[in-house]
Amino acid sequence: MNTRRQTLAALLGAPWALRGAEDIVKHPRELKFAPRTFTPPRAADFRHQLSNGATAFLVEDHDFPLINLAVTVRTGEFVEPPEKAGLAQLTGSQIRAGGTTARQPLDFDEAADFLAAGISSGIADVSGSAGLNCLSKDMDAGLALFVEMLRTPGFDAERLQLAKSQLLQSLERRNDSTASIEQREWGRLLRGTSHFSTRQATKGSVESIAREDLAQFHARYYFPANFVFAVSGDFKTAEMLARLEKAFGNWPSPRIAPPQVPKPNFTPKPGVYLVHKSGVNQGRVRMGHLGVMISNPDHLAISLMNSILGGGAFTSRITERVRSDEGLAYSAGSMFMPGTYYEGTFTAAFQSKSETVAQAVAIIFEEIDRIRAQRVKPEELETAKARAIEALPTRFATAASRAGQFASDFYTRLPEDYWQKYAERIRAVTLEEIQRVAQKYLRPEQMVVLAVGDADAILKGNPDKPQFKLEKWAGGAGVVRIPLPDPLTMVYPAG
Amino acid sequence: MGALAAWAQQVPVREVTLDNGMKFLLVQRKGAPNIAAGWVAKVGSVHERPGITGTAHLFEHMMFKGTQTIGSRNIEEDLRINVQLDQVKAELRKEEQELARKLRLGLIANAKDPAVRSERHRQLLAEFDKLNARQKELLVKNEFDRIYTSAGASGLNAGTAHDFTIYFIQVPANKLELWFWMESDRLLNPVFREFYSERDVVQEERRLRVDSTPTGKQREEFDAMFWKSSPYGWPVIGWPSDLEGITREEATAFFGTYYAPNNLAACLVGDFDEEQAVAWARKYFGRLRRGAQEPEPVRTVEEAQHGERRLIAHAETVPTVVIRHHTVADGHKDDYPLSVMAYLLSGRTGRLYKSLVLEQQLANSASADQNTYKYEGFFQLSAVAKPGKTLDAVEQALYQEIEKLQKELAPERELQKIKNQLAASKYRRLQSDFFLMQQLLVAEASRGWQAINTDPPLLDAVTAEDVQRVARQYFPREGRNVLHLLPKTGGGERRGTGGGL
Repeated sequence: MNTRRQTLAALLGAPWALRGAEDIVKHPRELKFAPRTFTPPRAADFRHQLSNGATAFLVEDHDFPLINLAVTVRTGEFVEPPEKAGLAQLTGSQIRAGGTTARQPLDFDEAADFLAAGISSGIADVSGSAGLNCLSKDMDAGLALFVEMLRTPGFDAERLQLAKSQLLQSLERRNDSTASIEQREWGRLLRGTSHFSTRQATKGSVESIAREDLAQFHARYYFPANFVFAVSGDFKTAEMLARLEKAFGNWPSPRIAPPQVPKPNFTPKPGVYLVHKSGVNQGRVRMGHLGVMISNPDHLAISLMNSILGGGAFTSRITERVRSDEGLAYSAGSMFMPGTYYEGTFTAAFQSKSETVAQAVAIIFEEIDRIRAQRVKPEELETAKARAIEALPTRFATAASRAGQFASDFYTRLPEDYWQKYAERIRAVTLEEIQRVAQKYLRPEQMVVLAVGDADAILKGNPDKPQFKLEKWAGGAGVVRIPLPDPLTMVYPAG
Repeated sequence: MGALAAWAQQVPVREVTLDNGMKFLLVQRKGAPNIAAGWVAKVGSVHERPGITGTAHLFEHMMFKGTQTIGSRNIEEDLRINVQLDQVKAELRKEEQELARKLRLGLIANAKDPAVRSERHRQLLAEFDKLNARQKELLVKNEFDRIYTSAGASGLNAGTAHDFTIYFIQVPANKLELWFWMESDRLLNPVFREFYSERDVVQEERRLRVDSTPTGKQREEFDAMFWKSSPYGWPVIGWPSDLEGITREEATAFFGTYYAPNNLAACLVGDFDEEQAVAWARKYFGRLRRGAQEPEPVRTVEEAQHGERRLIAHAETVPTVVIRHHTVADGHKDDYPLSVMAYLLSGRTGRLYKSLVLEQQLANSASADQNTYKYEGFFQLSAVAKPGKTLDAVEQALYQEIEKLQKELAPERELQKIKNQLAASKYRRLQSDFFLMQQLLVAEASRGWQAINTDPPLLDAVTAEDVQRVARQYFPREGRNVLHLLPKTGGGERRGTGGGL
């Protein structure tokens, strides 16, 4: 401790130190800054319609001789038949890995690698994606390869066999990490077991997937009217549009309405759920309930409220108490994500040694109660607002992030003026509204608490703090134990 | 060609060194809304010793706890309590040492059980809690973060590695002076508040990253086996018993040696006035006093290996084989051919995938890397066995690929493919200001930032003969270190007929 004070004393004696130091303000709040104004760019200024119906956002950036082209595809895991769980994922990866009708997989890969072109494809829960990144001098060759892949994938049988073997190997290990168990069980507790978002591939579903299934899936969803393009980099917009027309223009699109993402039909059951996993000394916890849609006019006030509660990292209450005050976790916080297709969720989460899981759960319940019962401090709201507003320029900082944001907003049908009105709407939120939305949208009586870890040690708690017990929030049913399912069949042993 | 394409040949960095030895690296990128700003302390776990492993990383956490100005309502009282806390902690340590002795002799079963504590131990704990509670009342919690966040800065964070500790953030382009104020203040007037609860946070981080992951403990075991004498053998996050024992005094001494300006370098990438930045650097960081002594380079080198080593471990994971050989440090002339050799072996069209995964169908994935640190380096091959194939068969197939490189020169076109990719990556790695700032600081901590400009031509000059030479030189049988991870079924509640594996 003394070292530091001596350093300061010695420093003050040094003439060069005095000279610099005298006009340094005592506290950073006294610093003055030039004002910065930021107006988010308008997507419409960068939007183009191709003759085949596809929408493209083009943002030029001539700093480096690179082109980045990203395609979002209107498809997703939600369209796959339940008995073929894994089909969407395999189709997405095999579009890239399975060669084309004109080229063996290895020939295609060698051609892409020799060009130093990054070419990718995948399908996630509610969208598909494909990408090309290459030097601008190689644009024609790169784009030709990319279109060949997207339009005429080969779905090579051997590559499919390999991908199935890799997928089955990963299914076999799905109970290995507490993180993956936690994610899976959390989905099941909040969305039920029949919604696509919690559907699990099994040995049976993967083995039933044939090459023909992939080809049909591709034919059904991959055509230009289902594509949203985000292109950025070293090109002239008019020339790039001509290139895209030439590359995709003669690819006809059937007149089929894009598929609708189904909503879950499930009411979560509040309570405490525990999954036992031996050999780990830390429990992973998620706790929360269903939330709101992005169309809910309160969603920005909710976002600010959550930023104060647990979403604002070190400037939020849950992180401050669970991590900095008590040293109970490395990461602790909350998310209140509005949903695009169906209501989102409120989730608080942390990881703590088995003994202190219950104590950290108690702190989070306390903080939820506090933000509902008392108004937040004006400076807390100001920090949350600054955080939200000042993050806007970052969202649009590079050409690639601008093009990507435009495409993503278009894909999810976000209102066109959303970002233009964003700062104004954030500024308008009051202290009263924060408390109102906390009371309306945080629902402690509906909380689902999930803990994954060494069950006995978690239930035993901390001998130094016997007042904290997980049972307290379990209600009449007591703590519900969830066994691990058979990893290949996903059959849960009967309790 | 792009406006900054020439950058890929020569990233234009202005280097300014202050009188106290602190170096500034300035890179202009006009138009960016944020400035990527960071600094590096040339210290990592490699500078620790047994007993204080994990200190460099713990330190990184402590640097966010505020200063004499930031973080407390009453600095005099705050510092007084810190001294008292250290005194109580020293007394507590005696009690803990006594319990450790009893545990060693088997007189107690659990040193953490409250029932085994002496009356004095209990009193000290109560006193410790009371002092902490009093200090908490004085705290302005996480004020360091709050000031940055309110100003619209984002991504405040830091990272610790074997050779360096790096601190970074993105600040709005109009608020660069705030960064100078904040970062110089935490170097000039740091207060290591909440030291003991932060040690607990690091213990949780260790549980999160190592203890409670499927292969964390086994990979730590492999590292400990691989390094015989070098300090690269202990984990950056430290051994748990060291983490429990590190004192604030030890941390303060560490700071005095390794956080002196002559051991630091800062970097700004973005849209700023260069002369203004240099003036602020002098004004704010010029206040730091050069360390009394230059930090010593690491003395202990890795002693030669005299026999093959094998670790057979069971873990809840896919069947995996890893082979490691000691090679060379970052920037050694053989680092370049070894890197090209790793590229030849890796990726979708790399030799390992083609041979082990596609042709022989022994593995579901395979890759190779040349990893270098400041003082040492290693080459690693790894593969995941296909169900039904043995790890021994996969291991042999990996050796065969090395042998092929020893016997036959790599064809020209295969080498050209690697060089085309390296040429494109020269641009790709410069696209993000934030990533560029980090790369410059990491290079500076090892051999100097100029490596970012001097490495690409050296990689481009590698010949097939160079690759053959290093393949022959660095992979002797007695230098092998082999890890077999064999799958085991995890414990869970699986009543009924649950299908074990």
